[in-house]
This record gives sequence, C-alpha cells and structure tokens, in this order.
Amino acid sequence: MRAGWGHLPARAQSRAWGRARDLGLGAKFAFTGGREGWIRVLLTAVGVGLGVALLLLTTALPSALAVRHHRDQARLDYTYDQHPRPKGDDTLLIADIDTTYQDKDVRGRLVEPEGPRAPIAPGLTEYPAPGEMVVSPALKKLLDSGSGKLLRERLPYKVVGTIGETGLIGSQELAYYAGAKGLAPRMNGWQVGRINAFGDPHPSTERADPVLILLVLVVFVVLLMPVAVFIAAAVRFGGERRDRRLAALRLVGSDSRMTRRIAAGEALAGSLLGLVFGTGFFLLGRELAGSVEILGISVFPSYLNPTPALAALVALAVPAAAVLVTLFALRGVVIEPLGVVRTAKPARRRLWWRLLLPLGGLAMLYPMIGQGRTNGNFNQYLVIGGVMLLLVGVTALLPWIVETVVARLGAGSVAWQLAVRRLQLSSGTAARMVNGIAVAVAGAIALQMLFAGVQGDYTKQSGNDLTRAQMQVDVPRGVALAPAAGKFAATKGVRKATALASADLGDEPWNTENGPAASAQMTIGDCAALRQVASLSSCRDGDIFVVSGADYDTDTVKLAKPGRRLYVSTSYDAGKGPQITWTVPRALKPARSVKDPAGAMRGGFLLTPAAVPSRIAGVVSGTVYLSLDESVPNVHEYVRNTAAAVDPMANASLWASTEQSKKFTSIRTGLYVGATCVLALIGASLLVSQLEQLRERRKLLSSLVAFGTRRRTLGLSVLWQTAIPIALGLLLASGVGLALGAVLLKMTDTTVAVDWVSVMTMAGIGAGVVLTVTLLSLPPLMRLMRPEGLRTE
Amino acid sequence: MTAPPGSLLAAENLRKAYGPTTALDGAEFSIHPGEIVAVMGPSGSGKSTLLHCLAGIVPPDSGSITYDGRELSAMNDAQRSALRRSEFGFVFQFGQLVPELTCVENVALPLRLNGTSRKEAERAALAWMERLEVDDLRGKRPGEVSGGQGQRVAVARALVTGPRVLFADEPTGALDSLNGERVMELLTEAARSANAAVVLVTHEARVAAYSDREIVVRDGKSRDMERIV
Repeated sequence: MRAGWGHLPARAQSRAWGRARDLGLGAKFAFTGGREGWIRVLLTAVGVGLGVALLLLTTALPSALAVRHHRDQARLDYTYDQHPRPKGDDTLLIADIDTTYQDKDVRGRLVEPEGPRAPIAPGLTEYPAPGEMVVSPALKKLLDSGSGKLLRERLPYKVVGTIGETGLIGSQELAYYAGAKGLAPRMNGWQVGRINAFGDPHPSTERADPVLILLVLVVFVVLLMPVAVFIAAAVRFGGERRDRRLAALRLVGSDSRMTRRIAAGEALAGSLLGLVFGTGFFLLGRELAGSVEILGISVFPSYLNPTPALAALVALAVPAAAVLVTLFALRGVVIEPLGVVRTAKPARRRLWWRLLLPLGGLAMLYPMIGQGRTNGNFNQYLVIGGVMLLLVGVTALLPWIVETVVARLGAGSVAWQLAVRRLQLSSGTAARMVNGIAVAVAGAIALQMLFAGVQGDYTKQSGNDLTRAQMQVDVPRGVALAPAAGKFAATKGVRKATALASADLGDEPWNTENGPAASAQMTIGDCAALRQVASLSSCRDGDIFVVSGADYDTDTVKLAKPGRRLYVSTSYDAGKGPQITWTVPRALKPARSVKDPAGAMRGGFLLTPAAVPSRIAGVVSGTVYLSLDESVPNVHEYVRNTAAAVDPMANASLWASTEQSKKFTSIRTGLYVGATCVLALIGASLLVSQLEQLRERRKLLSSLVAFGTRRRTLGLSVLWQTAIPIALGLLLASGVGLALGAVLLKMTDTTVAVDWVSVMTMAGIGAGVVLTVTLLSLPPLMRLMRPEGLRTE
Repeated sequence: MTAPPGSLLAAENLRKAYGPTTALDGAEFSIHPGEIVAVMGPSGSGKSTLLHCLAGIVPPDSGSITYDGRELSAMNDAQRSALRRSEFGFVFQFGQLVPELTCVENVALPLRLNGTSRKEAERAALAWMERLEVDDLRGKRPGEVSGGQGQRVAVARALVTGPRVLFADEPTGALDSLNGERVMELLTEAARSANAAVVLVTHEARVAAYSDREIVVRDGKSRDMERIV
C-alpha cells in the first residue's frame, strides 16, 4: 500500500492539500495575532485545558479505584475465624485497634510476630518492637503538629519508621503498626487473631446492586456533561475578533468555504494547545492530589494513570468537537469581503427540535420505569443515553428560552437597558455562558432526588438512644470494669458512665465439640446500671434477677432453675479457657427487660457486684455507656484517650441515630467530590469567558466612561447580563432536574417526592457560583474601563 | 503663565508619559467658547493624549488644565465624570456606539445618564438626529448602518446634552472623503449653532480646514500655527 495520499487521483490530492493548507493557515493565525492573538489563544487553551484535565482525571478514576481496592485487599488481616490457627514460625498475632481522631479514621494495628517467617504487612520492612510504632507519613505529620497533641497522648509509642506507599490506600491516610507483646491470650476471633498471610483468603465477587450501579452511571453523566458543555464554550472564545480577521481574508480572495476551514484550523490549534495545557494541568493536579484530601478521600499521584484507550478518546474527541462547534457557530455569520462582518439576521430559534432532545431522553428512560432493583440491571446504554439527552436538552432549550424572554423585557434604568439590549442582540452568548451551570444544577437536582428517594433503603436506624448516652466503650475481657468506669466518669466532659459487664452462660461446657445446647446472657452491674437494661421492682447489692420479655430469648426460662449448674464462656479458644461454672441461686428476683441505651433487649440473668463470684469477675467483658456534655471541646477525644489508657484494645464508638450503607455513602461522597471539582471548573470557565467578553468590549467600555458613564452603571449592567440568563437557566434546570429525578425514582420503583430544600440549595449553589464569578470579574471590569482603553497607538 | 483671557478651556505646560514613551512634553492649549480648534500632527505625536488630558479622561503627569476657571486636577474622578456627562461631548474615530442599543437609544444615552427620563431623552435625541439627517435610522442598531451614518449618530450623541466643549478625535478617520466632508459640515454647523467649542484632533488638512484655528503637536510639544506661519 502506498503511503499518504499517493493513491488518490491528482485532483482529489490537490483538493486535500488545499484543505490541509487552509487548516494550517488557520492554525498559523491562531498564533500570529500579536499580543491580542496570544491572549485569545491562551484563554481558549486554558479553558479547554481545564476541561481536558478533568476528563483525564475521570479516565484515571477506574485505575485509581482499582489500585486503592487492590492495596486495601492486599493488607487485609482477617482475624475472623472460628478456630484459631496454631502458633508457628510463620504466624503473626495482630489486633485491630482502629480509632477516630477529629472525625478522621485512624487505622491501627498491634502486631506481634511469632517467628522469623511471620508475614510482613505491605509497606513495612520489619515490625516495630513492643513500645514502638511505624506510622503513615500523614500520621507522622499530624503527631508532630500541635493539632495532634491529643492523639499523641493516645498513641504512647515511639515512632521508629514510616509505612511505605504500598501499605496505604491514600496519601493522607492515618495509619500505624505498633509492636506488642502477650497478644495470644487475648485472641477473640474478631479483634485479635493469628494470621500467616495478608490479603483476603476467600475473595468473592458480590452481585452489584442495580440501583447503586444506576447511581454511579448517573453521577458520571451528570458530572461530565457540564465539562463537555464548557469545552464547547471555550473553543468559541474570541469569536468576534476572529470574524473580523476572516472578513479581511475574504477581501483578499478567500471563498466562504476556505474561511470556514481557516476558522476550523484556528479552533483546532487552540484545542490542541488546550490538550497540551490540559495534560500539564492534569500532571500538576496529579502531583498536588498527593497532598490534599477531599471528604476523607486521598490518593497517591501514582494512582492517577489515565486508561490509555479513554485518554486517546479524549485526545481525539476534543479537537474534533472544537472544529465541529466552530463550524456550527459560523452558520449564522455572513462574512463579507468588505472588511465588515455582519451577523446574518439571526433566524428565530425554533422550539420543535429543541424539545425533541429531552423528549427523546424521556423515551429512552421510559421502558425502565417500574423496573426496580429486583428485575436485574438497568440497561446502561439507555440510562446514559436518556440522561445525556435530557441534559443536552437543557443546553438546547436555554438559548430559545433566553431569546424568547429577553425579547419581551422592557426598558428600565440605563444599566438594565444596556443589559437587556445586549442580551437581545446576542442571547446565544449569554445562554452559552450559563449552560454549564444549568446542566450541572439540573443533574444535581435529579441526583439529589434519587439519593433522597433511595437512601431509606440504604439507611437504617441504629436503635441507639442518644438521650441516654452518646458514646459506648467496649472493654475487653480481663480488664477490671469498675476502675475503668471510674476513669471514664472522671474524664473531662463525661456526665455519667454506666458500666455493664457480660458473659455467656451455657447448659454444657463450652469446650465440647458441639458446645452448649441452650445459652443465656449474664449481665453484671450495680443497681443503677441494671435499671438501664431491665425494670426492677427493688434492687440491693447482692441481688440476682432473671429477665423476661427479651427479644429472641427462649433459653433463659429453661436455664433459670435454682441449683442448676451453668458454664461460663471464658475464652474464644474454647479448649484453652478455664472451666468456670455458676450455679443458679435460689433467690432469683424477676425483672422485665427494657431497651438498653444501645437499643437492645437483654435476656438472661442480671447480677449485682456482690453476687458475682470472684472467679467470674476476671473473665467477663464490659461495656461503658457514656452520657456527655457535648459542649466541652474535644470531649470525644478525651473519652477515646481514656479508653486507650484503660486498654489499647478498648473500643470507643460515637453513636449516631442512623447508619448508612458504606457503598451508598461512598457513591454519595464521590458525587460531592466530583461536584466540587465540576463547580470549580465551571466557575473558573465562567470567569475566563466573562473576562474574554469584557476584553472584547474594552474600547467601548472606555469610551462610555469617557463621556461620563458611571462605573457603577456599567458594573450593574454586567450583573444584570449575568443574572437574567442565570435566573432563566436555573428555572429550566429545576424543571428538567425534577423531571429527570422523578423518572429515575420511578425506574427504581420508589415513591416520587420532591425535596424542595435540596432543589433550592442546588439552585442557590449555582446562583452563588455565578454571583462569585461576577464579583470576581468586577475588578478587571474597572481596569478595562480605564481611559487607556481609548489609546490606539 | 496663566490661561488666556476669555478662554473656556486652557492647558499649560502639560507633560504625560506612558512608560518610557513621552506623549506630551510641555504642551499648551486654549480654546474660547464657540471656537473650533484643530489639533494636528503626525501619528504618535501626542494629539489624542492632549485631547484625553483636556477632557479629564487621563490625568497629566504635570501641568495645569483649567475649565471655566476651575482646575481639573483639583477635581476627583466623580466630579470629572459629571463634567464630561454635562459639559463635554465626544466623537471618536469609530463612533464607539453601543452595538446593542438602537441609534436613538445611543443618542439618548448621555441624557439618560444625567437622569433624564427615557421618553424625554429620546425626544431630544430624535431632534438632534433630524438635524444630522439620520432620524430614519432611529430603530436600527449600529451594526446595520454605514460608517458615515454611524459617525453622524455619534455626533448627535455628542451634542444632545448641549455641551460647551465637543471633543472630536479623528471623526472622519474611518470615512471616505465624501462622507467625511458631510460629517464635518454637519458637525461644525451643529456645534456653531449650539455655540459649542470644538477640539478637533485630526491629521488631515482638509478636515482641519473646518476650524478657526490650528495647533500642531509634534514630539509632545504644541505650537500655534499662526506663530509658525
């Protein structure tokens, strides 16, 4: 095969060369317009570059998530096991002592290698000795800073090294491994365990929830659409000046097709430079990404590697879109050779085809209405296509709405008149400016509705009674509870500490092959504490109660026979624990179960301290419920510090009234992170576009000031020019957003309800971005109104 | 040196530099009520800078400008803006009409900025447009009229407030000779009938011929033509 165009007939070849020459000429013009030209190209490149950077970030997300997931999997230390693994030279004792500091999770592990071949955790080269720890760089930084003072008290280990990148899932993750001794007796099958390898021993692929997939799909489309809209707007920067240049070219003999190709060449050059800028921004952002954390998520720069195929798609699609948008924009422009560019009397915008887009979107989504989560996955193509068409419909409808409304607006003050007339003359420019925001707001409203509608399925009431306690501390077996409760009661900000110890009782010894056939719970506490779990008619130290009315408790009645010997569960490793028995006493008082502060109904036996044999006191585990004075700053940290001082494995948890599915929460978090990036991008792009427009009008602004126009009048006029289209855009966005939200809810078989507060919030955020941009553009506006703008030499 | 007796606007020893470029280097100027003075000189000689300084658009680095006995440098920006709105009128080379406003709205704009109601401002604007023979363009936008027509609209806009001084910076620079002459005829006639002084910046002798007096600016210095002659 011959290379290049050699196989084409001569005429076609010369035509192709001609086209390439025109494109090349356009590209040359993009860079040879002097300072003005350079500024225009730079603005376009910066605009396109910002969009490209965000697209590249999106293409890097799948690999980033995969790397994060793999690293998380690789460091898994499964301590859940029914039967403990025997000690060997390849085993490691590991305890999960995660904590929370100032609302940030801190991953903590106590480690005790039992032999030279003990598995090394990813990111570590060796284990710290007892009393020492290796920490993540972010934790080291925090501990070294003033804001880490309280955490330093909680982690009294000497820092001897840092965890390598492979052992962390984010650059800002707080994590540590501390050396320990004597963990073996504390193995309990969930918090402390013995392992011989890291990683998930039984990896499973669970079926994804169709509704969650739907959420992810819609989040992606909603976040990427405004970026596409923005890129389309950015390639049209400097259009007026370009049109004048094209007119000059017509004068020297270019025909209209040539001028269009030259314009396409200019756009191509701008977008190619935008690709370079975008790659630069992405690489810069990639490095910066290592030092920031958004909503608790951080990444390492190495995570952000764009998927090659998707990156190539961006590299091809952006220049192609730039050319198409430019040619589309030139439809209504008649470029005459007399050095004058007259915009052809703009044809009135037609509504019918603009309506087809959202209607088409609805038609694509319609077949999935009522499908719910039980009928398999939603058709991804229909979802993406439908949502895209609906959102593109916003960009198509908005120019028509702006044109129709501003045509009917009357004259008012000078500022209003200048703004309205400007909008009447070029409503398309104004609509383009707010298209991105409108699409983002429409998508956000729909998503907010969908999230609000389905969150009930992913959120459950915790049952915790926050009026009785706000924190709970689980104290491990073997730790004396009474002194621990005293320490908590003495902690700053703690109003009341209610301590309850518990153990399981069985009708047979726990170390037999099948274990006991019937079992019940034994709860130990003083009278005040026991009244938190049961209704007691009277109570004195030394009393023992048998509880009735607890949920799912059928064995207590069988076991509560005076004189019956019951066996106390003493150890996770049943065979190794001591055999401790307890005989049901004659003097059993009846009690009725009530919900304990955590919302559970306890059954079994309640024992006051004087009734507990000393042999039992050492094998029970405890729970302390804490009522707090939440106005005391750092009260939660004080409690966690006390818990760590009582025992490193004491687990303090902060109560909330609801608990949410982790996947649902992470998708929502992803939306917020993405929305933050997109809004920042749109804000930046609006500012660039606003400045570009002001720059084009520099001379006019200066001359208006020259003949005495107040700067305030011009400032107000700019504000009106933005406020009118944004108000219309937000109105349309709210309508489309509500419609899309309702359809998505119908698809998931959820009752349609409008959360007006969310709608207003989303619209408010959109308006806020525009207002901020307008305020930011006022200082340059003031500068552009200086008389220097009148100078021509 | 003091302003010549009876002068409406006078400048003494004006100096102005843009970075390393000296635009005015001791320039002087005076104009009497109703007088038309042409400021001539080659490109880059400082003519427009002189006009901008005289109109209070650009402050000089040094020197003094008095208007009607008041020192311009003693006024703040708001006072100078008010002066430009009420006492001065402007015509630039390219008209600088607001593209989105119709011609009549453009002419009425200075009056509206002074607080005149829209109806009244447009009535006065139309009267001036009739005098400048562009009243048939009232509903058209600047992009829909020719250069000469646009410039006449700009002259109407400059005169609608009844200014005492009209500043015209190359008013015919973008027009062919026929249109240029017509604009100058109408501009000078209208100015004389309104007893407005005209500071006419131009580099064309045929345009300067419409003036009563000529001043030449070269290398930032000004010279009265009579003195040169």
